[in-house]
Amino acid sequence: MDRDSIQILELRDPQNGSTLHRIALVSKNTKEFHTEGFDQIIEVPIETIVATSTTHIPALEMLGKTDALVGFPNLDYISSLATRGRINDGLVQELGQNESLNIELLIQRRPDLLMTFAIDQTQNGLDKVSDAGIPIIYNGDWTEQHPLGKAEWIKVFGALFNQKHKADSIFRQIESEYVKLKDVAAGAKTQPKVISGALYKDVWYAPKGNSWAAKFIEDANGDYIWKSTQGTGSLQWNIEQILSLAQTAQFWIGPGQFTSYNQMTQSSPVYAEFPPFKRKEIYTFSKTKGPKGGLLYYELAAMRPDWVLSDLISILHPELMEQGHQNNFFKPLDP
Amino acid sequence: MNAKTYLKSKLLWPLILLPLAFLVNLSLGSVYIPFGSILSGLFTDHPLEESWLFILNDYRLPKATTAILVGGGLSVSGLLMQTLFRNPLAGPFVLGISSGASLGVAFLVLGSGLITGLSASVLTGPWAMVLASAGGSFLVLLAVVGAANKIKDPMTLLIIGLMFGSLTGAVVSVLSYFSRAEALQRFIFWSFGGLGHLSWTGILILLFCCLLGLILAIRGIKVMNAMLLGPGYAASLGVSVKQSTLLIVLSTSVLAGSITAFAGPIAFVGLAVPHLVRQIIRTPDHRIMVPASFLWGSIIMLLCDAVSQIPFSALTLPINAVTSILGAPVVIWILIKKKNLMF
Amino acid sequence: MLNVENLTIGYLSDRGKKNILADRVNFSIGQNQLTAIIGPNGAGKSTLLSTLAGQLSPLDGSISLLGHSFKNLTPSQRAKLLAIVLTKKEYSDHLSVREFVELGRFPYTNWLGKINAADQQIITRAIKATQLDSLMDQKCGTLSDGQRQRVSIARALAQDTAFILLDEPTTHLDLAHKAQTVMLLKNLSKQHNKGVIFSTHDISMALKMTDNIICVTPGHVITGTPDQLTDSGAIAELFDSKVVQFDPSSRQFSILD
Repeated sequence: MDRDSIQILELRDPQNGSTLHRIALVSKNTKEFHTEGFDQIIEVPIETIVATSTTHIPALEMLGKTDALVGFPNLDYISSLATRGRINDGLVQELGQNESLNIELLIQRRPDLLMTFAIDQTQNGLDKVSDAGIPIIYNGDWTEQHPLGKAEWIKVFGALFNQKHKADSIFRQIESEYVKLKDVAAGAKTQPKVISGALYKDVWYAPKGNSWAAKFIEDANGDYIWKSTQGTGSLQWNIEQILSLAQTAQFWIGPGQFTSYNQMTQSSPVYAEFPPFKRKEIYTFSKTKGPKGGLLYYELAAMRPDWVLSDLISILHPELMEQGHQNNFFKPLDP
Repeated sequence: MNAKTYLKSKLLWPLILLPLAFLVNLSLGSVYIPFGSILSGLFTDHPLEESWLFILNDYRLPKATTAILVGGGLSVSGLLMQTLFRNPLAGPFVLGISSGASLGVAFLVLGSGLITGLSASVLTGPWAMVLASAGGSFLVLLAVVGAANKIKDPMTLLIIGLMFGSLTGAVVSVLSYFSRAEALQRFIFWSFGGLGHLSWTGILILLFCCLLGLILAIRGIKVMNAMLLGPGYAASLGVSVKQSTLLIVLSTSVLAGSITAFAGPIAFVGLAVPHLVRQIIRTPDHRIMVPASFLWGSIIMLLCDAVSQIPFSALTLPINAVTSILGAPVVIWILIKKKNLMF
Repeated sequence: MLNVENLTIGYLSDRGKKNILADRVNFSIGQNQLTAIIGPNGAGKSTLLSTLAGQLSPLDGSISLLGHSFKNLTPSQRAKLLAIVLTKKEYSDHLSVREFVELGRFPYTNWLGKINAADQQIITRAIKATQLDSLMDQKCGTLSDGQRQRVSIARALAQDTAFILLDEPTTHLDLAHKAQTVMLLKNLSKQHNKGVIFSTHDISMALKMTDNIICVTPGHVITGTPDQLTDSGAIAELFDSKVVQFDPSSRQFSILD
């Protein structure tokens, strides 16, 4: 929405659509305006940004703003080669301090914007950051449960860098690609049964039926065994229940952090009882790592749901994908 | 030796060292700010680089103030517990205060994840943590004091406190077992303790609580000195075991409870500092021990905090790690050198 | 005066049952008298002493000090009338002699325990009486048994009470120190006008030095002067005559072969 040279950015709760933050994006040299009713006023375009989640990185790169990143907590998580290059050149500062940000270094660095995954200012130290005059945007992409919903956050970056049109077009491209793939999958003759998750200390954790991960399986025309569970978090079930329900499964997508069948049997012999294990149809994203061990999936999957979907379709319905298709994230488990 | 000159000689050193330690703490941090700028930022109106001014006034100053209150308050409450229970291994948390706080925070951070299925940051704003921690401490304390009322002997109180500590520890274990990694990590980081995130409002509340606790402690100096004679003599002098126990327990609860609520559980300081101070002061007289423990506790806390920031690097150690590295050798030394404890 | 009327001493078992050690005890002790409590082990010496000190409640009867009944005295009020000296060492080793004795002024000092000029005078007198002048700044943990004994007595003296009760003050001392201690106690009673009551196993010394004897035997308590109790044969009956025999003229016990 344009009003003179001011744009209004509204960030809404994905669950119920209520407005969480109302931000005024003001271009330089704007005359006085009413500051009432805004949680934050940001001068755009911004030049430098500190991000706090690897999911923020792909959007920057796709908008050609890789150079804008000046700081990040726990640099090792970042997989993107372009940014890693900048890290090696010392252009991105390490801002991690245990589980939170090093406030001193952040304030000294003074970026034009801090993008955080926190919900609001009550997180540790963020009140001091805003007192120092650094604008904060609360990026809620991680609360989105629809694959396209997460990707749509690139529009926020677009608005911040005055690249609105570019962001919109990138998103539309991803969206149409996604929809196209979904339609292709819908035409499949079979709907294989899929399980997900793994044991963690005697409790089985797997995505619930309304979660982001489950949606992918649905859109790839797979039958997720626990699709009828309500909720968007993880289900925590007993192994016996899991095992009995999983007897009809053909594929296993996302077995926790495991990267090899050997690892799984070492961890617990029960895994060998699952049909996908016996058929060797387990696929994981944990093998795809960046130079310092960061998982590419955590960084890129949110922004490229079309790539995730194509991976899944090529696993569940290989006949539908073209020859020589290489998966981006999901690879078969090592022996 | 005249009491006044004695006091002066024993308290003079820490009174001088405290402001020095304060300045040292203020000048060390992740960002290098020259000492001259620190002084100029504090005492003059000279314009300072904006980010430095902000770091100094809005980050380091509150942190240093918190360190003084935390170090001093925990040391005094440790002293109180050691006197009440006539036990050199007693510390501020023997009554289960930090266990109660852990329980409260565990329910908030770990338990809420179980209930709603979301390990979201929604419920973990700083005030929520403070209230959960204080609430947990208060409940455990209520149970302990309730049990204490029926008991004449402070030793039984000690054991009850330890039992409640075990009980709450067990509950926290169960909650931890069923938690997801992120929630667990958040809880663990709370348990590391932190001095740097209090707002000025929080500091004011903490200051008020510490003052209250200190006033109670000072009120108890006379009976605590009588307790040095042992329970038989103390009673014959007119000391009411029940009343003095209540006074001391109350003072400790207010001090240690408020500190844990705002800064998390900080280990070893309350236990080790009174022993170190006794070596310096060389008398168990509480008229000197109480102020000296506060002062030295503050100094030590300021220095521990400065160390934990690993000056001029982005790396930080949790404050508990530093206090443990200091405190554990002191505890071991206590166990070895029983005779020289000055207890 | 310390008046004991119709006193029943003993203790309550866990179930509230009364275990009576002696009943219908009556005696009066004056303020400048030295009194010894003697008797065989287990008969109730310590129980009587504890009851007189206010540590145990009487099962029946009453005790009054200077006209005030125990029941009507608060612990602080009683602390100004009665001081105790214990043998069990529960105090901190690192109190100096000065600090230890100063704590005797506890019932009288202000909220911080400050020692004023009047307090100092009483303390100095107590130190002199127990000859502790040279030990003032030493830590209690470094003292010999005899010295610690005197420090405890000095503290009780500093408490400036009408009566002082001592729990077996001579038991762990050698002969010379035993004699010194009892001499000191006699001195305190006569020259400092204190009613001094102590329990002891040294019957001969008690008979020689004291003004009163309280003899606690199983079932009853007899009081009187040393002469009275010797002449009445109460002393002779204290112990099994098959093992030891009492000689009234020398006031000594001897072992039978």
